[in-house]
Amino acid sequence: MTREEVYARLNNVFREVLDDDSIELHDETVADDVDGWDSFEHINLIVGVEDEFGFKIPMGKVVTMKNVGEMVDIILEMGK
Amino acid sequence: MSIVSFGFYILVFGGTILYYCIPQKIQWVELLGLSLIFYFFAAEPYTIIYLVISTLVAYFATITIEKQRNLSNSKSSVTAIITAVAILVNIGLWFILKGGALWQPVVQKCISHGFWTERLATYGTRMVAALGMGYYTLQIIGYIIDCYWANIKPQKNPLKLFLFVAYFPQLTTGPISRYSQLEDIFTGHSFEFRNIKFGAQRILWGLIKKLVWAERIGVIISGINNDFTTYHGFYSWIMILLYPLQMYADFSGCMDIILGVSELFGIKLQENFNNPFFSRTSQEFWQRWHISLGAWAKDYVLYPLLKLKMIVNFGKYARKKFGRKAGKFLVNLIGMFILWMVMGIWHGGWRYIVGVSLWYWLILMMGELFSPVFKKIQVCLKIKTDNFSWHLFQSGRTYLIYAIGATFFCCGIHRAIELFKDVLRVIFVKGYANPWIFFDQSILSLNVTYVDLNHIIVGIVMMLIVAVLREKYGYARIWIEQQGLVFRWLVWIGLFIYILIWGNYGPGFSASEFIYQGF
Repeated sequence: MTREEVYARLNNVFREVLDDDSIELHDETVADDVDGWDSFEHINLIVGVEDEFGFKIPMGKVVTMKNVGEMVDIILEMGK
Repeated sequence: MSIVSFGFYILVFGGTILYYCIPQKIQWVELLGLSLIFYFFAAEPYTIIYLVISTLVAYFATITIEKQRNLSNSKSSVTAIITAVAILVNIGLWFILKGGALWQPVVQKCISHGFWTERLATYGTRMVAALGMGYYTLQIIGYIIDCYWANIKPQKNPLKLFLFVAYFPQLTTGPISRYSQLEDIFTGHSFEFRNIKFGAQRILWGLIKKLVWAERIGVIISGINNDFTTYHGFYSWIMILLYPLQMYADFSGCMDIILGVSELFGIKLQENFNNPFFSRTSQEFWQRWHISLGAWAKDYVLYPLLKLKMIVNFGKYARKKFGRKAGKFLVNLIGMFILWMVMGIWHGGWRYIVGVSLWYWLILMMGELFSPVFKKIQVCLKIKTDNFSWHLFQSGRTYLIYAIGATFFCCGIHRAIELFKDVLRVIFVKGYANPWIFFDQSILSLNVTYVDLNHIIVGIVMMLIVAVLREKYGYARIWIEQQGLVFRWLVWIGLFIYILIWGNYGPGFSASEFIYQGF
């Protein structure tokens, strides 16, 4: 899986969970940059990512990821 | 030994000189020694046993967790059980020693037998909790969970782990640090003049907030609180509206001292305040006020709770059944309730459960429920929201919401309700209002002088200026550092003289305990 492929699927997850088709994610994107990405939606996004990619993200990673770039790194690492 | 006492600053002064004279490898040992000295002077010495128990439980639990993980190469149910037991031991200790206000009235009601009620009362008054128990308990629980999540490696040296628990600047009032943030205490630090300069400046600013302003506001608050029959009507308004300012000057002043002292050793603790009264919403307020508590509760309570299979499935079902927004609202309702209950229970009393937990849960849920209606009203009335006056209105509203919750905090549930009734009487009962107290000298009967009142006004203006500078430059100190030599020295010498003359310290004065020191 390439980084670009992860981004394409991740954009879809975010758009679906947050109900906003204009979302375009980047490595530096943080919760404050995306409308509606609060603590509650954070977990919905994580669950959406888990459903999309087919693996569980460990809780420790859920609380420490600082931006979308780190989320993509985790997905790439877990998907190996 | 309080952190505003002379003895504390002798300890800090001597400790700082020694810190930069000894090899960096053993600087942490000195910090451990300073922490022990501080503890023995600041608390009942024997209560240190509770810190030792917490540390040892965390130490053996995390070492075993790592061994188990290496054996099975993944998380096993054994590691989960060890984690749960270690957390429960820490919570249990806290609950017995610190949560007495929560369980004693309930147990006393349940036990009708006089003998047991008496025994319980005697036991309750004899119990002495460890200093800063509420803070270090959360820290140690966070440490255990981080090890369980494999976010950090367990500390192999129990003495270093004990230092993480008992690090003296933050022991009494936080901030609640994570292990990864505080690992810096074990590494050596070379002398940097900027750390000493910024540390000392911050301590000075904290002392001014506490000894000049918070103490004076406190006199007014306790004067009204102690005699509601004399002080009613607009005095109730004064009390409700002024208490958040006392809390802010007291708690953030305490934080300034703590962060400043730590900075002297080159160790930067996390910020606990970020101009909370500039917040536009209550949600934002709690991201700017007592930041470390909110962040702790979010990471170690809210996220694991929301990720429980049961809650995830309920969320999916609710979204399917009631739609995206309503589904989210229902999950929020449960998650927020538990999160705010944890925040309230941590404060250790029913008044906090009402003033912090239930009040904020209600406000945030109402806000979410009615936000579409508010937005429609804004559009219909063509209210411009992108301007200063709207921000001012929002911040005022957030302040008022906090003030109402803090009233429970300040004077208990029954008295708070009486105060709110009194506030309403001023508006609705003819002839009850007493506006003359603002113009005649009756306010001086609260044991304050006009000079004290002027200091409070000066304090509010100065805290506002510093807050604005912080919004713009990160810290007011950085802005001052950029100014010319004469201006810089004028500011710092001026502030030093200000506290020397007007600070409530020395013989005849006894600074009251910091409000947040009790938790």
